[in-house]
This record gives sequence, C-alpha cells and structure tokens, in this order.
Amino acid sequence: MAVSTNVNAPKPTAGIGAELGRRFRSNIQTYTIILALVAIWALFAVLTNGSFLTAQNVSNLFRQMTVTSFLAIGMVFVIVTGNIDLSVGKLAGFVSVVAAYFQANVWYQMMPNQPLIAAILSILIGVGVGVLFGVLQGYIIAYLNVPAFIVTLGGMFILNGLILLVTQGKTIPANQPYFSEIAQGYLPPLAGWVIAAIVVVFLFWNMFRSRQSRARHGFELPNLGLEMAATIFFSLLVVGYVYWVNQYRGIQTPVLLLAITALIMAYVSNNTRFGRYAYAIGGNREASRLSGINIRRSVFLIFVLMGLLSGVAGIVLASYVGYGTTAAGQGYELDAIASAILGGTSTLGGVGTVFGALIGSLIMSSLTTGLQMLNVAPAWQYLVKGGVLVLAVYADVYFKKNR
Amino acid sequence: MSDDIILDFRNVTKRFPGVTALDNVSMQIRRGEIHGLCGENGAGKSTLMKILSGVYPYGTYEGSIIYEGKELNLGAGAIRQARDEGIAIVYQELTLVPNMTVGENVFLGKEPSAKGSIDWSELYANTRDILAKYRLDVSPQAAVKHLGVGKMQMVEIAKALSENAKILILDEPTSALTESEIDKLMEILENLRGHGVTCIYITHKLEEFFRITDSVTILRDGKTVTTQPTRQLTQEKLVSYMVGREMKERFPRGHRQPREVIFEVAGLQAVDPNETSRTVLDGVTFNLRRGEILGIAGLMGSGRTELVTTIFGEYGKITGGVIKLEGKEVHISDARDAMHKGISLVPEDRKGQGLVLMQSILKNISLANLDQFSTFFRIDADAEMVAATQQAKSLGVKAPNLQAQVDSLSGGNQQKVVIAKWLLSNPKILIMDDPTRGIDVGAKYEIYKLMNDLAERGVAIIMISSELEEVLGMSDRIMVMHEGRSTLTLDIAEASQERIMALATGIADEILPV
Repeated sequence: MAVSTNVNAPKPTAGIGAELGRRFRSNIQTYTIILALVAIWALFAVLTNGSFLTAQNVSNLFRQMTVTSFLAIGMVFVIVTGNIDLSVGKLAGFVSVVAAYFQANVWYQMMPNQPLIAAILSILIGVGVGVLFGVLQGYIIAYLNVPAFIVTLGGMFILNGLILLVTQGKTIPANQPYFSEIAQGYLPPLAGWVIAAIVVVFLFWNMFRSRQSRARHGFELPNLGLEMAATIFFSLLVVGYVYWVNQYRGIQTPVLLLAITALIMAYVSNNTRFGRYAYAIGGNREASRLSGINIRRSVFLIFVLMGLLSGVAGIVLASYVGYGTTAAGQGYELDAIASAILGGTSTLGGVGTVFGALIGSLIMSSLTTGLQMLNVAPAWQYLVKGGVLVLAVYADVYFKKNR
Repeated sequence: MSDDIILDFRNVTKRFPGVTALDNVSMQIRRGEIHGLCGENGAGKSTLMKILSGVYPYGTYEGSIIYEGKELNLGAGAIRQARDEGIAIVYQELTLVPNMTVGENVFLGKEPSAKGSIDWSELYANTRDILAKYRLDVSPQAAVKHLGVGKMQMVEIAKALSENAKILILDEPTSALTESEIDKLMEILENLRGHGVTCIYITHKLEEFFRITDSVTILRDGKTVTTQPTRQLTQEKLVSYMVGREMKERFPRGHRQPREVIFEVAGLQAVDPNETSRTVLDGVTFNLRRGEILGIAGLMGSGRTELVTTIFGEYGKITGGVIKLEGKEVHISDARDAMHKGISLVPEDRKGQGLVLMQSILKNISLANLDQFSTFFRIDADAEMVAATQQAKSLGVKAPNLQAQVDSLSGGNQQKVVIAKWLLSNPKILIMDDPTRGIDVGAKYEIYKLMNDLAERGVAIIMISSELEEVLGMSDRIMVMHEGRSTLTLDIAEASQERIMALATGIADEILPV
C-alpha cells in the first residue's frame, strides 16, 4: 500500500521486528488500554484466588457490561463529532420503563397468551421511543444550533420526569417469557461452537481477500507471517471465549447482540460516508464544510443513531433487571462517556474507535465486579474508578508526548 | 527631533526551517518619532515585530537589539517581559475581552486591588485619566462589545499606554477602520508623539506613511533596503524599493493556449454574512478562459479570499452582480453545489481549512469525493485506494504510504495532498488561494509544473498569490484587487511589479510609466 513515488524500486520488506515496532507505535493507545485490562484481570485473579476468572464470573462480567456498552458505542460517534450526550442513561431508563409498562399492563390485556408477539412489539416500541427522542434532540442541536451539552442536559431532566410519569413511582415487572431471554438467555453450547467456527473462517477469509485485493492493485503487502499471527491470535481469543462461557451456560444472548452491533458500527465508522464524515467533522469542521459535507445532517443523524442505541440499551436493561424502576439508567451516561474516553476517544473530537470503547466498558465493569467480589465498600469503588479514568487519560497524554 | 536612538537593530537574522525570514536586518529608531515599516507580504515585517515583542525570545535569532542603551534580552515569559520593558504591540486582530468594560480591559491582569479585592473606583479613575491624557474618546465603563472597531483600537492603545509603553507597535491599525476613524487615529498618534511616545507603524496603505510617519524603513525578502526620512520619499520611490529586484527563472511556463471563456463574474457585490453592514466585495468583474491561469493580486484584506470563497458558495452574502458558468447564470449555494458544477477550491489555510490533520493521507484525499466510491452505504475501499494512490502518484506526494497521518508530512507535501483532494473531482475550474504559501522552493516548483499541466489540459485556474513574482511568473492575465473592488485586469505583457503594486495600494495607475 505504499506510494513511495520518489523511489520506483521496490522497498525491501521490513523485518518482522521493525514492522511490529511500527505497528505498536501507531496503535499505542489500543495496546495501552488492552494491557491495562490484562493487568486489572491479573490483579483481581490474584486477589480473589482465581475466582474472578471462573467461567460463571466471566460470563456474568460480560453480560453486565452490555447495557452501558451499547451506550458507549453510540457515545463514540457523538464525542467524535465534538458533541456530548448526557441524556443517554435516562433515555435507556425511560425506554426500559416504557417496555416494562407495555409488557406488564398493555399486551397482557390486549392479547393474553401471546408472549412472543408481545416481546417483539415491546422491542419495537422501545427502540422507536429511543429513535424519536434522538430525532428531537438531534434536530434541536443540529438545526436550531443549541449546544448538545445543554439540549441533552435538559433532555435528562425531561426523561427523568417522564420516567416518574410512566412508573408513578412504582416498580413495573418485565420478567415475562421471551422478553427475559433478551438479556438473560444463553445459547446452547453447540450453537456457540458454530458461531466460533463461522467467525474464525471469516477472519481468515477476510485476511486473504484483503491481501488478494491489495496484490491485484499492486500495493505493497504487509508481512504474511505477522498477519497470520494476528489472525490466529484473534481466532484463539474467540475460541477461548466460547470455550470458557460454555463451561458455564453458553454464549450470553445480550453479549451476542452487543458483538453484532459493535461489528456493524465498527464497519459503519470506517466504511460508510456517514462514519467518515463524523470523524472529519470532529477532526476539522472547517475543512469538512469546504469539502461539501452537510454538517447539520451528519450531526442530526449521529443523535438519531445515539437514540436508536439508547433504545436498544433500554430494552436490554429492562430484560436484564426484569423490571422498570424510577432509578433505571441512573448514571449510565457517565459510565458510557468514561468507557469511550478510556477506549481512546478524544474529547476534542475526531478520534475514537468502537473497539476501544468496548475495552473501556469492559474495564469499567471489571472494576465493579472485582471490587464487589473483594467486598470493597461502594464509596471506594467510585474512588478507584475515577482514579483509573484520570490515570488512563494521563498515561495516554504522557505516551503521546514522549513518543 | 533629536538623534537620540531608543531602539537599534543590529544585524538581526531569523531562520525558520528552510526559510531565512530575516537576513541581517539593521534599523535605528529615534526616540519620539513615528517610524514606518514598509514591505510586501512576507518581507519580514511581522517576524521583526514578533522578535521585538518577545514572541520569538532572545536566542532564537542572531544579531542584537539595543534598547535604551542596553541589549534587549527577552528570555522565558518573553511577551510579558517585553511589556514590562515598555514595548507594547497593538495587533491587527484585536485582543480585547468583549464581555468586559473598557476599564476592565485596560487593567486586565494588573487590576489595582486592596486586601485582595479589586478597587473598582481606582481602576475606573485610572482608566479615565489615561483616556483623557491621550484624548481617547471612550467611556471607561462602556462594554467593549458595544464599541466599534475604531474605539476598540483606542482601548487597545490605552491598554498599552497604561503599562507605560515607551514604544508602541501598530500592526496594520487601519485595515478595518473607516475613513473618519482613520482620521481620528491619526490625531491620536500626533498626540502620542507630542507626549514623547515612540511608534512603529506598519501598514499596506502607502499614503499613510506620508500622512503620519517621520521616517520609513523598507524591508524586502527579509533584508533592509533603506531607511529614509519620509519627506525625502515619494510613493513611486517606495514602490520601487519594495519590489526592486530581478525576476529569476523560477517559473516553468508550458505552451498554454487559452480557449473560450468558461466563467464570468460581473459587478459582484457581497457582504459579510455575519455582519451584513460590512461590505466585503464592492464590484468585482472578470472572466476566465479554459486553459489559462488568471492571477489575482492584491494586498491582504483587499478581498481576494473573500471573492473566491463567495464564488464557492461558502462565505459572502451576494447582494449584486452576476456569475456565469459556460454562458449560463448560476447561483452556487455551497461547497457541494460548487463541486457539482465543476469548481474546486484549494483553500488559503492549509491546516485550518484544507486538511484533517489527524487523519491519513488516504482519507484526506478522498474526503470531498466519497460519493464516487460509494454504492448505497458502502465505501469501496479498493476503489478509494486506487484513486487516491493514482492522485498521490501523479502529484508526487512523498510519503511512506497513504496510511501515514498528514500532519507528519512537510508543508509542500501537505499542500499536494490538498490539491490531490480537489483534483479528484476533475474540476473544470480550479481556484487556488495562495497555493505556495509557506512551502519550500522545490515544492513550489512542482506545484507550478502541475498548474501548467492542468492548464494545458484545459482546466481554468484562478490563482491568488501574495507574491508578486509568482503572480507575474505564472499568470496569463492578472486581476488586481483593492478594497473589495477589481481594478484592471492586465495582460501578462503589460503587467509589471510596479504597476500591480500601484493598483493594489490604490495609487492612480497613470502616475507610473508602463
């Protein structure tokens, strides 16, 4: 892929060591955060005498991170464009109580004994509410030029009020059949292995296809051994994960949903105009404007997307806890923002990845779980999480300066 | 006027990577005089003043500056230190806090206080005294945001004087002022001279040197040409000192054959979209032929950039005139519309407007033309890569690969990336706003060659340039702008540096021999 146009002679292939070094330097942020995750897991594994890494605990850990992860994925896009969304926690909460309300009070009377249809309708309504709210906020931000911070801060208050209106201060159950499966279901072990096999085949197919395409266009190919090693590494990660969660009850439905969503959004971020424009707008608004990008429309769509993902998060939330409460989604926006930032999203805009946000989210939820297992008081859990967030960003600033 | 020298520059040299901005500049300024500093864009005036005001501290330049008999040694915190030494600068862009009052601005950072709280009555009394002493007609309690530009400038001057400035540098103070505001400023400067304040006065408007200065130093290409008492100078002499140099063979010229007129602008008028009372274009007329390079010359602030960004649909609000593309009147609503109509704009500010610095070369090149590679939602990464590679190759972008971040490239290569980006849409008209600003000679030459190739292939090019040599070297015809108006469009055969400078500075064309 080189276009070293000043020299026409093909460059000698760089040694694996040099290539590794280059890759490491160009992705230093991703590696730092992964190393941090590994370190945290190792620490908790030692402190809990290994029970942190049991199949059951790992399974729960991943299941727990899903709700904020959906929000964190959307938050990456929002922050990348140079905006912020403070309403996502309450929006997910509102969606969860709306879904619970319909599950408990409406479908039951309209069509008793149709739990599957009821669940589907609840999902559609919940996601629809999320999108609608995203449309409203996005319109005010993008077209009426009210800063996102203020619009979504207001949105947070409004949603809080709406939650109280729907719940009337009471807890609404949402533990009906099918609906519960969304966040509490598990895939049979065999299905897990089939998925793992598909993913591994896809990883290799994708690697060879991309090499082929590069070769066809005459671009320099990356070191084959290194690419093989990377592909094998990721395949082992997937196989290992499936093996481990199968020791407990199998792949968790919400984790599967999250993985699919993350893959789609990672693809969107890089391979669609929508995604590219988001990064360009956050990177240099003026250059984007002069490049003919419709900034208003892009920002509007970003908030609609955020609404959609908040809707999904709300449905998973309702299913996960099994009821809708007045406190639903409280503080989730902060977890989502922290996850995105831990994962390398720049608050100045223009930089950030879906993958990073997932790792960030996993770190946050690992801290919660691990500290709980160690019986650390909630006060100290907050102190540790806050400290880790600031420390991680400082480490990033430090490495960038001393690269 | 005495021969008491307050400030003496001795062989000051300032180098930037690849450029020598100041080359052995020597200049003496006498106490109490108003000393004009004159030169083309890029002659080194701003660099010199940045050294004096501490932006470039001691040690980053060679030579010495003797101030009040001692060598000026501005170290760390140099800007503050320069102010403490009594050297104050009033920039072209005003640096006031709009939401504060005049008094608060004048004493910003040095508020008189007693027991930790600000002594407001003293602050306003002091402000009133300063304003009265120098006959600055502003109320101390007025909010700065409600003042006009002329009054804001008075506040800036008051702020500088409140620190007991001995030397006041005025950098293009009149560029945003109306005629009556300029008259007022001249009165103030006379009054300052009466109080013994030394001024260094920088302007592009030559007549102002004759109105107010006692002597003038002319800089050219980073060197001092001469310092002379103003009364010994004439405008023509000034101009010839400013431009007097040989033209070198730095500009490749192919076999350009201008064809039919593709683009016409007649009587274009426009106002600032954010401040509709401010006229930015006041009657611009020109036409552009396929296969030619039309140079637009003019000083900074003459409306060159405003003209092209207005044509591109991204700046001025058009209030009059006609734009015709291929004989048909067009209304260009925004950048996307302009691109669809076959117009590309390589903007003036490479980093601020041209590139997303944190992104790869590939993404920068394709940004404005992702539609070309997209089918419904998906961007065809291969097609994108192929097209960008081809562009990068044909422009000779030197980079390890297209995934490299653009901010790791040299200025010249960055500019090539911007040009590659704008050529991807195969424009019929390519507007280039100062395309070689801040890049080295070799890269300039490559860009000139590229412009030649494009013109030979029939692209119509509009090139804005701050360098007269470049305009003369590259253009087929030259349009000169002055205060938002187009003056003459000169054929290259009848153009000369003196003539362009005369038109650009607003001196009547006839006074100079052609």
